[in-house]
Amino acid sequence: METSDLKLDGNAIGGLLNELFGTELTAAPCVCGGCGAREELARLDVYVHAPGVVVRCRHCEDVMIQIVRGPTRTWIDVTGTARLELG
Amino acid sequence: MARAAVLGRLAWLAAEVAGTKWETPRVRTLELSVPGWADHLAGQHLDVRLTAEDGYQAQRSYSIASAPGETLALTVERLDDGEVSPYLVDEAREGDGFEVRGPIGGYFVWEPDDPTPVLLVGGGSGVVPLMAMARSRAQVGGTAPMRLLYSSRSLEDVIYRDELEELPGDGFDVVHTLTREQPAGWTDYSRRIDPELLAEVAWPVEDEPKVFVCGSTRFVDAAADGLVGLGYDPRWIRTERFGATG
Amino acid sequence: MGIISRGFRGRRQDGPPDRVPPGQYLTDDFPVLSAGPTPHTPIEEWTFSIQGFDSEPVSWTWEEFRALPSETITKDIHCVTKWSKLDTSWEGVSVDTLLEGIEHEAEYVVAFCDGGYTTNLPLEDVTDGKAWVAYGYDGEPLEPEHGGPARLLVPHLYFWKSAKWVRGLSLREEDEPGFWEQNGYHLRGDPWLEQRYWGD
Repeated sequence: METSDLKLDGNAIGGLLNELFGTELTAAPCVCGGCGAREELARLDVYVHAPGVVVRCRHCEDVMIQIVRGPTRTWIDVTGTARLELG
Repeated sequence: MARAAVLGRLAWLAAEVAGTKWETPRVRTLELSVPGWADHLAGQHLDVRLTAEDGYQAQRSYSIASAPGETLALTVERLDDGEVSPYLVDEAREGDGFEVRGPIGGYFVWEPDDPTPVLLVGGGSGVVPLMAMARSRAQVGGTAPMRLLYSSRSLEDVIYRDELEELPGDGFDVVHTLTREQPAGWTDYSRRIDPELLAEVAWPVEDEPKVFVCGSTRFVDAAADGLVGLGYDPRWIRTERFGATG
Repeated sequence: MGIISRGFRGRRQDGPPDRVPPGQYLTDDFPVLSAGPTPHTPIEEWTFSIQGFDSEPVSWTWEEFRALPSETITKDIHCVTKWSKLDTSWEGVSVDTLLEGIEHEAEYVVAFCDGGYTTNLPLEDVTDGKAWVAYGYDGEPLEPEHGGPARLLVPHLYFWKSAKWVRGLSLREEDEPGFWEQNGYHLRGDPWLEQRYWGD
């Protein structure tokens, strides 16, 4: 296995995001809080082989979204995302 | 974004295996019967959830291989140390059940009423969602020029080989590259996709084509970068990276 | 619970209960988990430092670090994603060796790493022979995908505490949640008490 195979994209968490937010989100543009880059969530770098899901900006690699699923709660950190656009 | 792609919160649905078909020694298609399944768009995927008798669960995503309206089908490649794929490829038989959730995805989606020329670039099992797009076009008699550039290790690994021989014509064609082993007399490409190959195969930049690239992360990033190097606008290119998830 | 799939078991193995903590399964592989791209710091630029007390930070270059007394140990490891691997063999420098001679009043440490990963631990969980900075695995240099050139190794806690690509320890008076601990994972992470998440 190439370690680059560990890096997926937002398509890989479409089902998870639907489960958490009740809607399709992969086509939603997101703005990186670090560098200001704007990309559809589907184009962000996503790491799922981890204790949680980590979504990183593909330009500056800052963490934009972090998701941890516990048995009764889910922690969603979006401090690295300046803006999400729906519609 | 595709209008039908937003369906609200998806629920897990019961799926029953209605048919199976070997595509290659490592790849099998499962036809599924899923009561309550809302139709999908070409390019979308679904999540599969398996539950063992002691309650242990494993979940993976698989691209939908079938065109909208056809019997729902998944095409799965067995990964040697995988947990779900060996079950779906080697164990599951007609009548077996598991759960699916979908359709998922509003970005990596193609609708056949779009007249823009389309380039599909697939590596290995990355061809699956692209096949759904080709089947979707054939089903409605779409007229957008569509070309599939499909990279496989050897002829034996080419998924949907017979169907890909029959589909071409009327604006659809297939270019193969076999990267590891080629049969005698092979006239298509024999190497990994590189900028020269792309320059020969890709639609001209003036066409402002739509591109869908799917495969391993390395494959997808190299193909997308190669096309941008030819002058393609990154916004024309939609990508889906498959991991070696199993 | 979902629909039971005939014949599905997954890849799990059971193991001796005195070695496999609750909720864990045995594996023969060594799964690679990562929260980001693999860093590739050139070894000439690599340093390990102990920071955060009154005097200057103590720092070692790679050559200096490799010259420190090291140990080879065999330990079981337990990942919070539920796999456990028994009898893993490591080579590295004990954290006790690294802290020798450093006067401080810290009760906690934060491990910091290339790529920005951090994890926090009580000082007593990295002292008295419980923790190492490891640069060898299974008789070979530690591979980048598993944290090489060096990672923290704290086998008695869940393996997210064994921070990959570690570059130093910061001594702290208070506990400061790291990368995963800020977002739901337990501050301490004892697998025998199944301390996976906040409140466990």
